[in-house]
Order: sequence, then C-alpha cells, then structure tokens
Amino acid sequence: MRIELISLGHVYPTGDEALKGVDLVIEGTEPVAIIGQNGAGKTTLVKHFNGILRPTSGQVLINGEDINNRSTAQWSRDVGYVFQNPDDQIFLETIRKEFEFGPKQIGMPEEKIKEQMDFVSELCLLKDKLDLHPFDLTLTEKKFCTIGSIIMMDPKVIIFDEPTCGQDVEGNKRLKNIVKTLQDMGKLCITISHDMKFVVENFRHVIVMCKGKVLLDGDSKEVFSQVDKLKQSFVSPPPITRVAQKAGFKETVFNIDEFMREFDNRKEK
Amino acid sequence: MREVVVKVEDLKFRYREGKKRALDGVSFEVFKGEFFCIIGANGSGKSTLCNALVGLVPYYFTGNKKGSVVIDGVDTDNSSIAELSQKIGLVFQNPFNQLSYTASNVAEELAYGLGNHGVPRDEMIKRVEYVAKLMRIDHILHKNPLELSGGQVQRVAFGSTFILEPNILVLDECTTQLDPLGSEEIFDIVKELNKTGITVIMVDHDMERVARCADRIMVLDKGKTVCIDTPDAIFSNPDIVNYNIEAPDYVSICKALKERGYYSGDYKITEEPTVEVVKEALVK
Repeated sequence: MRIELISLGHVYPTGDEALKGVDLVIEGTEPVAIIGQNGAGKTTLVKHFNGILRPTSGQVLINGEDINNRSTAQWSRDVGYVFQNPDDQIFLETIRKEFEFGPKQIGMPEEKIKEQMDFVSELCLLKDKLDLHPFDLTLTEKKFCTIGSIIMMDPKVIIFDEPTCGQDVEGNKRLKNIVKTLQDMGKLCITISHDMKFVVENFRHVIVMCKGKVLLDGDSKEVFSQVDKLKQSFVSPPPITRVAQKAGFKETVFNIDEFMREFDNRKEK
Repeated sequence: MREVVVKVEDLKFRYREGKKRALDGVSFEVFKGEFFCIIGANGSGKSTLCNALVGLVPYYFTGNKKGSVVIDGVDTDNSSIAELSQKIGLVFQNPFNQLSYTASNVAEELAYGLGNHGVPRDEMIKRVEYVAKLMRIDHILHKNPLELSGGQVQRVAFGSTFILEPNILVLDECTTQLDPLGSEEIFDIVKELNKTGITVIMVDHDMERVARCADRIMVLDKGKTVCIDTPDAIFSNPDIVNYNIEAPDYVSICKALKERGYYSGDYKITEEPTVEVVKEALVK
C-alpha cells in the first residue's frame, strides 16, 4: 500500500486550520509512528487516510487513487482506523458482536469471520471475554476491543490513535506483539503515540508533526538526534536517549545495549 | 511524630458482582503533606483503592467491605461521600466519568461541587476564576464541557476537584488524555500544591515521573500491599519486575555501569544524577 499526500490542507468548519500543506509518502510494511503535541494535527492527518475527513485543499492518493473517488465505507476495507477514545467506537452489547459487525458489513464470508474471530481474540487476549459487555471491560481492555474489531476486517493498513494511553507494562507488550504480528502479515501499521519509549522500541519510521505541518520524517535515529527541532515540537526523546545526549554521546541510542556500546566507544577514545 | 491523615488497615473489598476480591489486604498510612504514590499492574486494585479513599467504595460501588479506611480521623464507614469530599478529593482516571452532565458550560461545571456545598455566589465566582487560571482553562469557561478535547476535559476534571479545596488530593492516572508537555504542566501544579502542604496520593504508570515526585511508594499486586518504601529502595529492588513494574531507565544505566565496574554508588532514579554518573564513569 502507498499513501501519498500532496500539499494536504484541512480547515474545520469552525475555521480552525488543522493541516497547513502536508506532503508525505508512506508505503511498504515498515510500521510508522506519528508523534507531536496535542493539537499538532496528528489525528486530523490520519483521518484522511480512509476518508473520514476529506481534504479542504490538496490531495490524498491511496495506491494512486484519489481518496474522493470512494466513500469511507468503501475505503475502510483497505484502511482501518481505531479511534482514540474507545467509547466513540464501541456501540454493541458484547465484544463478539463488536468483532463481527465490521466483517458482516463488508460481506465477509461466515467461515472467514470465524477464522478471524479466533485469530483476533487470541491476538488481543480477549478470548475469555468475548461474551462480556464492552462496558464491563477496563479502559485498557476496551482499547484492545476497538483494536480487535478493526483487525477483524482484515484491512491492509491499520491506524492506531494513541493505543498506549493508560497501558501498563503488560499492555504495552500486548501492543508490541500486535504491531509485530501485523507487520509479519504484510500489513502497514500507522500509530499515533505520546509514549516515546514505546515509539523507539517498535518503530523505525517516525514522523513528527508540529502546528499542522510535518516537521521531521525519517529513520527514528535520525529524527531523535535533532534535539533542537524536536524542542520546537515539544517532543522529548525517551530517558535513555536523553541521558546519552546530555553525557555527550554522538550516536543516538534507544536501549541499554546501544547505550553501553556507545559508552565503550567513547571510553576507548 | 508526623500527623497521619490517611490510615488504611487490612482493607478488603469485593464488588457486588465480582468473583474475587478487588482489594485483598491493603494497609498503609499517609502523612500530612506527603507525596505518596501507588504503583502496580492494571487490575492490581489501584482504582478501587482510590474509590475507597473517597467513600465511592462502598457507598456508590457497593459490595463486601472489610477492614477500615480512616481519613483525617474519621472512618469512612461513619461518614458520607459529601462529608468526605471536603477533606479528600479524587481526580478520576477517565475524566468523562467525572463530568456532572448537567452543566451547560465549563464555569458551571467547575462550580457544580461548590453549589452542593452551599458556597456563597461571590466566593464561588472567585474560586472559579482562580482555578480556571491555575488549570489554564480560563479561555474555555463559556464552552460546553461535551465539546472539549480529552486533554481539556482532564483539566476541567482536575479543576472541579481542586476547587473544593480538599487537604488531600487523590489522582488516579489523571493525565492519560494529555500530551507529555500538558502532563508536565499538570504535575508542576500538583507539586506546587504539595509544597503548600496539601497531601497528594497519586496512581501513575510513568515510573520516571513517580521516581521524581514521590516521598514514598506503595506497590500493589492482586489487591495486596506488597511493600512501601522510598523511591530509591523500591526501584533498586530487582524483585519489582515480578509485579509487572519496570524501574526507570536510569536504574538500568547505573546497573550496567556497575556490572562493568565503572560505578559503585547507589542506583539513580532521576535524569540529572544519572547524567553525572555517566560523565564521571567516562573519565574514570
């Protein structure tokens, strides 16, 4: 899949200009993280990838086809968006029904729905909870319920909006496994997150947004080495990276092994 | 002797429909003016405990409660949510659950609790203005609470608790909707309030932040108190991984340097001291 944005602009009916000319290409299966402050335009941006929002200027091309050629319902077979607030997405009385709803809408065969149900409930660790009411789940489980119901539709591109919010160590591991599994299946995951540790652990392609524009776009090491530009967007690298930078390390490091390797390099000099 | 403002003894609680106990033996004391943090995996009972501190357990969430919760000398069993709310205030994990859903704008939302406590109108206006400024929501006072962003609702929720001027603040992961900068702004306010003598009890998953703020930390696991200690002691303890807790990354840096013989001191749990340790190790 290839998502291409050409000077994409979006002005809300209230007059707020959320996107101010974004040029961007996302393709392949390498998971992408989008970071930046609240109000930077991250959610507005990704809502253009399946037409929930339409450009007020510029163009969005999905595999070369203009987004305006099809409805969101049609696009969502290819591109699924998991809402930031689970309560905006959940509306049925059991998790099983939430999971079945999307696939039934797109006419997925019964057999395939069953297969997907087994796979997704296992992946999201909700197997024992399929017949519960979603509102009996904790906030984080609800998040996995909304993630699962999008994966159920088997789209080629899956967008997660702040999946890490409120997650504990186990929840982050579960998410990590979901992103990895989807990548191995040849899907493209695009994730908005404020959790920089989670970002550097799971994503090599990082896009930084600031005030409706793309400030940085590239390899995570490249992006997190640009301290001054990050400051503009109020993004702060993860703790290990910050310590290394403040201690004068040249290379950008993301974990303890990289940290010690770079420490040894400097020590030898 | 420091004054004890919260005393919880062998607290056990099972929700009415619950199969097992959400709390299964929690005991601790919090001193006046202390910054006390509670950590543990999701499902360890942190939110239930917060609800028990303000009386929502067992008055709103009913069930089978054993043991005692004493706030400022008053057992919650002999009090009411209304009475308790003047001593201790809770900022909810999900701010949308905290809205009154009757106020037509943010100013009314903030004033809602004051109305219930019979605070005179002049005083009400003064407090709304003060809290709105403090929480940086003075520009949205006229807006409908249901039209706000998640981050804004979280600020309103915080403000509507703080406006009652409780001496003890309970914060249940109260910045999940905010970006890192917004969260830091809120925590700067919390730290300021703490300096003025307000007791803070905070539940949070961000261990770097907990390490920076806490005077003492309690670890909860499966509804039980596992240990209570200083941040240094808690995060230096290798056993905490068993409770699904990761120490701040600073600890792993100190550990790695120690293993190689470049460092021999205590584990650091905040950024600046760790940077110093690394710099010294480099020239050693």
